[in-house]
Amino acid sequence: MTIPTAPLLELSTLWIQVTGTWCNLTCTHCLNSSGPHNPWLKSLDTDMVIRSIKEGAELGIKEIYYTGGEPFLHKDMLLLTAHALEVAPTTILTNGTLITEQVADHLAALAQNSPYSLEIRISIDDVDPEKNDRIRGKGAFSKAIRALQVLHSRGLLPIVTATEILRDELPEGSGMYEQFRDLLLSLGITKPRMKIMPVFSIGRMEGEGGPLLTPEMLDGFDYSLLQCSETRVVAEGGVYACPILAGLPQARLSEKSLKEAFKPCDLYHTACVTCYETGMTCKN
Amino acid sequence: MNREPKEYRRIAVCGGIYNNYLALEAALEDIRRREVEAVFCLGDMGAFGPHPDRVFPLLGEGKVLAIQGNYDQSLATGLDNCHCGYTDPRDNYFAQLSYEYTFRKTSHENKAWLGKLATHRRVKLGQYRVLMCHGSPRRTNEFLWESTSPNCLLEKFCRDFETDILLCTHTGIKWHRALDGYGHIINVGTIGRPENDGQVHVWYTLLTAGDDLQVEFIPVRYDHETLAREMEKEGLPSEFIETIRTGWWTTCLEILPAKERARGKY
Ligand code: SF4
Ligand SMILES: [Fe+2]
Repeated sequence: MTIPTAPLLELSTLWIQVTGTWCNLTCTHCLNSSGPHNPWLKSLDTDMVIRSIKEGAELGIKEIYYTGGEPFLHKDMLLLTAHALEVAPTTILTNGTLITEQVADHLAALAQNSPYSLEIRISIDDVDPEKNDRIRGKGAFSKAIRALQVLHSRGLLPIVTATEILRDELPEGSGMYEQFRDLLLSLGITKPRMKIMPVFSIGRMEGEGGPLLTPEMLDGFDYSLLQCSETRVVAEGGVYACPILAGLPQARLSEKSLKEAFKPCDLYHTACVTCYETGMTCKN
Repeated sequence: MNREPKEYRRIAVCGGIYNNYLALEAALEDIRRREVEAVFCLGDMGAFGPHPDRVFPLLGEGKVLAIQGNYDQSLATGLDNCHCGYTDPRDNYFAQLSYEYTFRKTSHENKAWLGKLATHRRVKLGQYRVLMCHGSPRRTNEFLWESTSPNCLLEKFCRDFETDILLCTHTGIKWHRALDGYGHIINVGTIGRPENDGQVHVWYTLLTAGDDLQVEFIPVRYDHETLAREMEKEGLPSEFIETIRTGWWTTCLEILPAKERARGKY
């Protein structure tokens, strides 16, 4: 069967998988199977990240995202945040467990000194600590909540990212969105910010095969609805099509430069069907 | 189109009107006293406020040269939502209420007029080439906030779209940045809604070419209490009315980047 492809319409969003798949948690739904032991994608060198940011700036990107793994495991994460914020608005996707008061002070100072916004996205999957920790690991909930509070008290306005992994366990009639909003308000977070993501059949949720996109399905389709039409990811081994497939050989478009990755990417994975159906993006 | 763009020395530029015909009237009156050669509007005539059809005669009388915003495009083509580009369910809920109201209350003729507007316009201002767009030059509903528009992107826009001055609106908050080397990006703000700073007035922009480019943001006070009462009579959401009366945004908040969000009340 022919694999359909998506064109790169513009490079707007630069993702940097700064710690590869190295994480201090082992969430059951992790889309790149991150964890503490033998990560299958390694962290990036500080120099390599700085070079990518520079190349991104030359190409006229709009924003930068740091992800992993857990970005705050990188020894130079604060320095790298500073570099990114010199060039463009920057978002960090984190589980929040490593955001101490000192880290939050640093981040607040960096945000203050940049003309661009710094967004910190903290992952929580349920408003119930016990249910959340069943997915994300013991103690993850209380640490994430603490991170929200230390960031909020410094004016950093964190965004909670939740996946729909526990959606089916919701009591009848109560939306996930409202539940999280209420939780944040009850914690004194007066500007509650939320991002809800679908679960992808990839990583620890990868099933046995599953449907794939066909060229017929993409006939007349508006490719700008797929994030791979405007994004590229720098991760160990090169430049990849999108944050969901980062690190996978078939999604690799270049070994080095971003510019070389200005070409169509294969929509070969079952995860592509989720993008196609929901139009979702990993952006804020 | 290879017609030479028309050249001016001093122009006024308005952003989204959002049905706020009282603010538009006050702005046009203010503009009349300032000896400009032309008045431009960057689109989004509808949304938010009451009585959409009252905006159009004012645009005609004031000889306002308009381009098309996302709202105008949606109304003209009968789309089922405003394509404002919101991503949050609460934002979308409120956007939908005002879109349905505006769609219902905008006449066929006015929708057809909106459908004929161009999406971009080029003029010259003294020696400067000016490109007007609604959201960004590459996408009508792209948000260009001050804190999420990096210089590297703005320089690329100036290069790719061959302009010295780029004018936009769509976000609802004005800003101006002069780029090193050359280039100016100006988000002209909006006439329709105060800009989330606790002040009830709205803004338009005055541009004058001399040796340098002069950019002035002009505050416009108008009878916002009458507008608020009319919105009440029309059954528009109390959240919108609060914004008109207090100057703080109560909806469309999730699209705000961290810096802009931090400055508001909610
Ligand atoms: S997973 Fe989604 S964003 Fe990534 S290549 Fe497939 S369709 Fe594109
Ligand atoms: Fe708009």
